[in-house]
Amino acid sequence: MIVTPRIFLRLAAIVVVGVLLQLSFFSRVALFHTSPDVMPALVVSLGLLGGSMTGAVAGFSIGLLVDCLLVEALGATSLVLLGTGYLAGLFRERFDIHSALVPPLLCMGLTLFAEIGYAAVQVMLGIDSPVSLLIVRDMLLKSVYAFFLGWPIYLAVRRILRPALVEEPGARRRSPTVLGA
Amino acid sequence: MYRKQVRRRRAVLALLVISSFVLLTVTYGKGSGGLQRGVSTAFSPLQDVADRALKPARDLVGWFDKTFDARGENSRLKSELVKSRELEVAGQAALQENAQLRKLLKLDRGPALAASSYEPVAARVIARAPTIWHSAVTVDVGSGDGVAVDDAVLSGDGLVGRVASVESSSAQVALITDHASAISAKVVPSGVQGVIRPDLGDPEDLILDYIDTTEKIGIGQSVVTSGWRAQGLASLFPPNLPVGEVTRASIVEQEASQQVRLRPYADLANLDLVQVLTGGPER
Repeated sequence: MIVTPRIFLRLAAIVVVGVLLQLSFFSRVALFHTSPDVMPALVVSLGLLGGSMTGAVAGFSIGLLVDCLLVEALGATSLVLLGTGYLAGLFRERFDIHSALVPPLLCMGLTLFAEIGYAAVQVMLGIDSPVSLLIVRDMLLKSVYAFFLGWPIYLAVRRILRPALVEEPGARRRSPTVLGA
Repeated sequence: MYRKQVRRRRAVLALLVISSFVLLTVTYGKGSGGLQRGVSTAFSPLQDVADRALKPARDLVGWFDKTFDARGENSRLKSELVKSRELEVAGQAALQENAQLRKLLKLDRGPALAASSYEPVAARVIARAPTIWHSAVTVDVGSGDGVAVDDAVLSGDGLVGRVASVESSSAQVALITDHASAISAKVVPSGVQGVIRPDLGDPEDLILDYIDTTEKIGIGQSVVTSGWRAQGLASLFPPNLPVGEVTRASIVEQEASQQVRLRPYADLANLDLVQVLTGGPER
């Protein structure tokens, strides 16, 4: 990905809109008593399109913004999401994405990774109350939701970042502008 | 060239990981003060707009969720539940009637608060934490509206939580299902006292702990805040705020105490309008 100032602004807009959508919409709706968590899917999409550095930096930024807005201990969400973004980017750098199922499957798998990561960080920080087994159901359902939401999120992010994508077929086909023609 | 790129990538990753750990160590339990307050205040209007714009979509998803739930419910049990609640918490049905509208007009003042110095402030939930590990919501009132840390927060059905932190135009509310929550409460009408703790991961289940095995607790009994005050210390919550109803009572052999399970009255998954009890006696 070629990050120009304009693309940087688009990335920042994706981060802000994604976080606002998560906190104001997805966190406040529940299907089968579980709310979708689209932030890992968003970070995975950015990692898949921009590589490991873009994924890690986007994950860190999204996590920091969420922790700021919720007035939680800073760094916890950042730590989990930067790992998620880095892994997604690493996948993109090592393997080709041959199938349309790869982004949603990666979103599902890495959302589960992120949920386990949140749990690990919370255990590390200390939990003062008993933990229900329903938390496992919550993690699994969040991953399933990420599978279904992952594909539209990936497509939307790809569309927004299209001018910056080096391997985008649409960008390659575009004929050069001939000045004075 | 490639090696240089890899080295730079690893350095950035290491920097981000170290930054996360440093931030976590520095801000855990204390918050970062200025940074979080500034970001939260700056985003508060945006969150407010997003909350209002997305409400129809939220309601639609909520309708689907409730429809799924309703299919599995027994209508007889539901009507019994409604009747018992009407008997146990006097006047609650009347409170629920037009509760949201009354709250907006700041006219709502329940029997538990009628004789107290608390001043209810109506608030709208504008954001919610995405993970189950932190049960917290953000409301659109803050210190400018008289809201202070540790103020109790109610919905039309019962206790929701307490204010965990406050900015000028917004406040974070830690819900009663948050892992750090502990509420002194009593079972009515027997008056048996205990401490309510959450069962992390299950928002429809709370645990009333430290109840003597000799005390008889019945399913369906109401649990309200005890609101104790002793030797200059006081409970965060005023007395007699409805919290939930008993769903199960079992004896814990090893601890020689009863563990009572209760379901919160407040629908914590679908909070929209709430009430912050500002003022009150010095704590």
